[in-house]
Amino acid sequence: MAAIAHEPSHPTQTHHEVTRDVVNTLGTAGKGYLLLLGAAVGLFLVGVGTFTMLLKDGLGLAGYVPPGFWSVYITTFVFWIGIGHAGTLISAILFLFRSPWRTAVYRATEVMTVFAVMTAGLFPIIHIGRQWFFYWLLPYPNQRWLWPNFKSPLIWDVFAISTYLTVSATFLCVGLVPDIAAARDLVRGWRAKLYSVFSLGWRGTDNEWRHYTRAYLYLAALATPLVLSVHSVVSWDFAMGLVPGWHGTIFAPYFVAGAIYSGVGMVLTLVIPLRKVLKLEHMITEYHFDNVAKLTLLTGSILFYAYGMEYFIAWYSGNPYEQTAFWRRALGPMWWGGWTMIICNAFVSQLFWFRKVRTNLTALFVLSIFINIGMWFERYVIIVSSLSNDFLPYAWGQMRPTWADWGILAGSFGWFSMWFLLFARTFPVVAIQEIKELIPMPRLRKGGH
Amino acid sequence: MSDTTPREGIDRRRFLTVLGVTGAGAAVVSGCSTERIEKLVPYLVQSEDQIPGVATWYASTCTECPAGCGLHVRTREGRAVKLEGNPEHPINAGRLCAHGQSALQGLYNPGRVAGPMARQADGSFKEITWDEAIAMLVQRLQGASGKLAVLNGAGRGSFTDLLKAWTEAQGGRHVRYQPFSYEPLREASRQTFGIAEVPRYDFGRANYIVSFGADFLDSGWISPVEHQRGFAQAHGYADGAMARHVMFAPRMSLTAMNADEWHASKPGTEAAIALAMANVLLTERSGNPPDANALRGTLAAYTPEKAQQETGVGAEVIRRVAREFASNRPGLAVAGGIASQHRGAVQTAAAVNLLNYVAGNVGDTVRFGADLDGGDAYGETLALQGALDRGEIQVILVHEANPVYSLPRATGFEAKFRKAAFKISTSLYLDETARLCDLLLPNHHALERWDDARPRRGVNGLLQPVMEPVFRTMATGDVLLRAAQKVGGALAHFNATGWEAYLKSQWLKVLGTEEAWRTALQHGGTYGETPTTPVRLANGTVVTPYRAAAFDGAPEGESFYLAPVPSVLGDGRFANRPWLLELSDPVTKITWHSWVEIHPDVARRLDLQEGEIVRLTSPHGSIEAPVYVYPGIHPEVVGVPLGHGHTSYGAFATGRGVNPLDLLDGADTSGFLPYFATRVILTKTRRWKQVAKTEGTTRQLGRGIADAMTLAQAKQGLSPALAAAGEAAGPHEENPQPEVEAIGGWRERQLQKRQKGEYANEHPMWGMVIDLARCTGCSACVTACYAENNIPFVGEDEILRGRELTWMRIERYWEGGEDGEPLEARVVPMLCQHCDAAPCEPVCPVYAAYHTADGLNGQVYNRCVGTRYCANNCPYKVRYFNWYAYSKAAFPEPLNLQLNPDVTVRARGIMEKCTFCIQRIRGAQNRARLEDRPLRDGDVITACAQACPSDAIVFGDMNDGSSRVTRLKADPRGYHILEDLNVRPAVTYLAKVLNRTEA
Amino acid sequence: MARTIPGVLAAFEHIDAACDAIQALRAQGRRDFTVYSAAPNHELESALGISNSPVRLFTLIGGTAGIGAGIGMTFWMSLDWPLLVGGKPIATVPPYVVFMFELMVLLGALATVAGLVILAALKPTRGLAYDPRFSDDRIGIFVPSGGDDAAKLERMFREAGSVEVRHAA
Repeated sequence: MAAIAHEPSHPTQTHHEVTRDVVNTLGTAGKGYLLLLGAAVGLFLVGVGTFTMLLKDGLGLAGYVPPGFWSVYITTFVFWIGIGHAGTLISAILFLFRSPWRTAVYRATEVMTVFAVMTAGLFPIIHIGRQWFFYWLLPYPNQRWLWPNFKSPLIWDVFAISTYLTVSATFLCVGLVPDIAAARDLVRGWRAKLYSVFSLGWRGTDNEWRHYTRAYLYLAALATPLVLSVHSVVSWDFAMGLVPGWHGTIFAPYFVAGAIYSGVGMVLTLVIPLRKVLKLEHMITEYHFDNVAKLTLLTGSILFYAYGMEYFIAWYSGNPYEQTAFWRRALGPMWWGGWTMIICNAFVSQLFWFRKVRTNLTALFVLSIFINIGMWFERYVIIVSSLSNDFLPYAWGQMRPTWADWGILAGSFGWFSMWFLLFARTFPVVAIQEIKELIPMPRLRKGGH
Repeated sequence: MSDTTPREGIDRRRFLTVLGVTGAGAAVVSGCSTERIEKLVPYLVQSEDQIPGVATWYASTCTECPAGCGLHVRTREGRAVKLEGNPEHPINAGRLCAHGQSALQGLYNPGRVAGPMARQADGSFKEITWDEAIAMLVQRLQGASGKLAVLNGAGRGSFTDLLKAWTEAQGGRHVRYQPFSYEPLREASRQTFGIAEVPRYDFGRANYIVSFGADFLDSGWISPVEHQRGFAQAHGYADGAMARHVMFAPRMSLTAMNADEWHASKPGTEAAIALAMANVLLTERSGNPPDANALRGTLAAYTPEKAQQETGVGAEVIRRVAREFASNRPGLAVAGGIASQHRGAVQTAAAVNLLNYVAGNVGDTVRFGADLDGGDAYGETLALQGALDRGEIQVILVHEANPVYSLPRATGFEAKFRKAAFKISTSLYLDETARLCDLLLPNHHALERWDDARPRRGVNGLLQPVMEPVFRTMATGDVLLRAAQKVGGALAHFNATGWEAYLKSQWLKVLGTEEAWRTALQHGGTYGETPTTPVRLANGTVVTPYRAAAFDGAPEGESFYLAPVPSVLGDGRFANRPWLLELSDPVTKITWHSWVEIHPDVARRLDLQEGEIVRLTSPHGSIEAPVYVYPGIHPEVVGVPLGHGHTSYGAFATGRGVNPLDLLDGADTSGFLPYFATRVILTKTRRWKQVAKTEGTTRQLGRGIADAMTLAQAKQGLSPALAAAGEAAGPHEENPQPEVEAIGGWRERQLQKRQKGEYANEHPMWGMVIDLARCTGCSACVTACYAENNIPFVGEDEILRGRELTWMRIERYWEGGEDGEPLEARVVPMLCQHCDAAPCEPVCPVYAAYHTADGLNGQVYNRCVGTRYCANNCPYKVRYFNWYAYSKAAFPEPLNLQLNPDVTVRARGIMEKCTFCIQRIRGAQNRARLEDRPLRDGDVITACAQACPSDAIVFGDMNDGSSRVTRLKADPRGYHILEDLNVRPAVTYLAKVLNRTEA
Repeated sequence: MARTIPGVLAAFEHIDAACDAIQALRAQGRRDFTVYSAAPNHELESALGISNSPVRLFTLIGGTAGIGAGIGMTFWMSLDWPLLVGGKPIATVPPYVVFMFELMVLLGALATVAGLVILAALKPTRGLAYDPRFSDDRIGIFVPSGGDDAAKLERMFREAGSVEVRHAA
């Protein structure tokens, strides 16, 4: 990854300009922004309505067709979890790798992470048959002293997801404090009050910085293995099952790569318009997108390999169930899904070999949309297609999604965008103090130290 | 429920009434007449035969078809909750078919007529009191002056005697009516042997069975359970031997699915084959009847070659089958049944009689003298129609019959029936006939009344009320007697105090003592030897010169022979029972609606896909139904199931599917109703209807799910795996454990680690063995499971989404059928395998799925949150999810009264599955504990095993070395489905054995 | 601010100037001064001679506690009511490693943040003079002092190149 950050960036502004520009992104919203927010809330309400119907009538409303006992909801769950990973990767892992290009974008990606995981966290609840008993998955003392089953990958999930949400949220807040303080000292009125609360009385004294820098380092160090573990655990939800098409040792790395790939895709989708709306063109530059795109290329290529390997092993293992599963994935009733996933992920990512593509924002944006679609379909294919043709041919069946599936999917996008937009207007989405770290302060005597 | 029937809910008070009074009165001696319904005996006064929470059993007799099987009725708190066969009964020996099981849904059917009703001026029905009703009846009878007719569908018994005498005493006309009459068999026996009787077939003794279109395993032909028991005994593999079953028929029915050879013969030509076989036997001197020479002459013309021209079945096949038939004594050749009830039916049956005679089976596997019940001749019904048409009938009473539905529309019965001035129905449901009547006198259900049945000589079945009537009904016997008293005159001598008293008096005439009567009640009747009358060939020409059966309908356009297919709905009387509507057809696996079976070649030629709706037109009418492409049907034939297409028969049946009888010509003079005698023209409609099948893919894809081996391999004692590999006999392992070599003692160490808490103690290890060589796929077990475990039906729409909750399902796979290979059907009953290393358990986050100490795969409904991971991870896909609150919709009152109190009714959003009938296991264990004895093998019998007429399912403790299940498990044919997954199922399957001539 | 500590507050625009001032202060043997900056800066750190923060101890303790909690929770809860699933051992390590790991990360992270808060709180900034520009582009140095000592300091800061010096009282 260090290779990606070959040349350090040299922001041209002074410290004051940085503070000013970033703080200016906060506060009163424009028409475009309000329109977006309205759309997001609208979608969210669609989701709320659908969920109400699910509670009232039952999961039967969704297009489940046994043996497909999981479908769109779990697909979307994995999708959102995956989105999260790019954020932590960029904010924590690249921090450890000291790759300066991350500074301009990492705050935005971190915010994306927190809200994506928050969204994903809703799905296990939405998808279970008796949503009102979801808390039975937690190890709380009850009158029967009955505990959850720690051998179940779903309980691993509960712990992995909640840890991930907590830690990444903490990481985000810690990073925010100095920047909020900076904002506090610049604005007036109610927001000044708000920020002085959130800045926790931060002043940037030598003592504060002393502990802060170390603490931040250790948080990054903890978040790094976490991000790898979380999607491995999610992948084990499938790999631990013996469904043909799931039962593979390749799954953990395969899913992690996929997660980062999809996450980076989402970063592009979000940051490109954000940069326009918040007028951050001179902070988030071509140089940053170039690097993000390279990351996409790397993870995309890993996926390419994983796809190939899946099919190869299915053939090479001689396992008839695996063979049938993958034969039908490519040529069966769900062929369109299978090929969407391969084209949008394996092939699209290869376009990033070309610098022209990596640095052309329109191209990047369009491709990032493809990446999002492709990665959603990857999960859809892995889950639905594998389940629909497992061991007993007599029991096979093809699921057909209904409005209840799409309603929840739309709702999740609304919920996520809503939070993201609200945050972007309220708190600095560019890390002020880290950028300042990169900008050498003026000197009296010329020549360095 | 149809609009004119007033909705009769069961409110709490009425329910208690039913409980209370039964609590007092269900003692076998008390009759149950509706007068006593107000006497509410509270449970404070404990009645000696009613212990809350403990089941009371009553012996009775099944009246769902004329076979007359014995019943044991399980009642809880005064309501019948489960029907099982009576082990003492000579006909069904403790087994029961799906129809018999479903009698409960007839009893608690929401579509039942709630009480006596009279038609108003405006045509609607009005509820009246029984006194009013009987007064009306009496008044009409007095006016009828001999212009009275009775159409009686009830089987032979005291009631029919009474009704006949009662009718004739008034100069009326009494006609016994059976939709599937066995007239051709009776007529053929008269022609061949001069004895007009339906022969009794002893499948159990046969070593070689040849069926000429006789679907003796399909629903409702003569005595299905008895036939299946016999067939399993003869054709099931046991110590190196089994009978061979060859079938000549245009369609592969359930019976043909269980044949070792099925030859698609041209419709209406089976007789030619039978005669040719008889001819071969005679010419080769392998059959030597006393009058061989005479016969040899008459049969000389019927060579296999001639038969080949006629039937399309190869001469060499016929010759070979004939030789095998002769050399495997005793053999059994069977004819008859609606599937072969064409205009040549008598001739076919006669030819088969002759074949049996020549082969020397008559008096051995084919016996006369049982005098099986078959109703009156179809001619009688035709005569009655004539009388109705001429207006000679003023008052007509229809009992246990629905001719308006079950007679072809072309007969115009409805119009003729309407001509009668006053029409009375005793039907329990507002069926097509009752809806036309003026007075409804709903009879008690068979489980609510006294009655008896004489299915054959030597077998006298008793029926007794097992509970207080659910509705305001009255036993028709009581109606007749009360009317008789009021009418007086010719009827005056019917002076019994009541129907129960009359019946008892009839029995006491034979039994003599009260003691004997009580014994009879306890045993559900009296069972003696069934006599056998020796027969010899009738004088004169016994061979009616062969001629292919005639079919009406013009052979232009896309013309096909229409085969009305026997279905789980029987003659339509079962169409109002959700259990049977949802029970997937054993052959096509279709539920809830009609279909048209078409041969793949034809479908290809006409570019028809499954689900495309086609119109079938005959000179007499036309019907429309979706296509089901079926490789098991003769290319010139299309099949349509019987029993659908009701216009009035309660909410479940009405307006569902189509009735193939609408295409038939009823005004036939053959002396019986030829079902299979019409040609239809097929036209496409370009409309579609998704076929509600419970099956995904019809092929096993070589996954060794339904394994089979040849008889030779079975004799060598090969394991299915070796047999599949085609290896010769050699050293072979019973149950290969692939992981043992791989990881040495690792698993044993793991097993040590799980010996904690409850698991450290000694426990039984419950297991099951299913013998695929005996299983026919009849699906009786499925219905038994629905009844025992409160399984809700989900309905057609949910079935289309594959969401049925069939804890026990019959998977049917096709083998061969392509490029000249013979089509072969394999059936596998699939239920929870209760794996020792169950993949479903560890993935449950809340321990809702866990392993009980006695080896069961437990499912805790209350704990389940519905993540559905267990179902994903179950390789056998035997876990079923409550996507909606199915049980809310599936048990509309009073169907909810049938629910088994020992089994939870599952809520919405949870997973459910087969429990190995844990309620029965715990029940048996508790009984053993109370009797202070160890549990014995056979104490626990699951509902499926209990019902299975083939005795293919065996359940027991695998830790008990002497138990039957342990012994059968060790059979070399034993295998586990998907064994390579190493989940260690508790269910062992014994591979099917194919008794084919090795080419 | 309830009560203000009297002292001298100097603002610097230039990093080298600020470092000179700090070294001068340390040369005078002063330790009680406070340096404000908008971002961490290595030159400042070296000028201040800052040693490693003890926050890592919190991380270590939190993480270890997490692993312990993971082992304890899984094994005790499994054995508290032994239920057999899938023929697997009642309590076994491989699947439980997940919980040990996740709890290690969780408690480790929370402990780290706790450490940060506690350690920062040990040196309260309450009452110290402050200027909003310190969170923007100025480096600030505050030295608690009074009287002529304050005047001495002001002179020193100006020589060092401070752009502005204030007296807080």
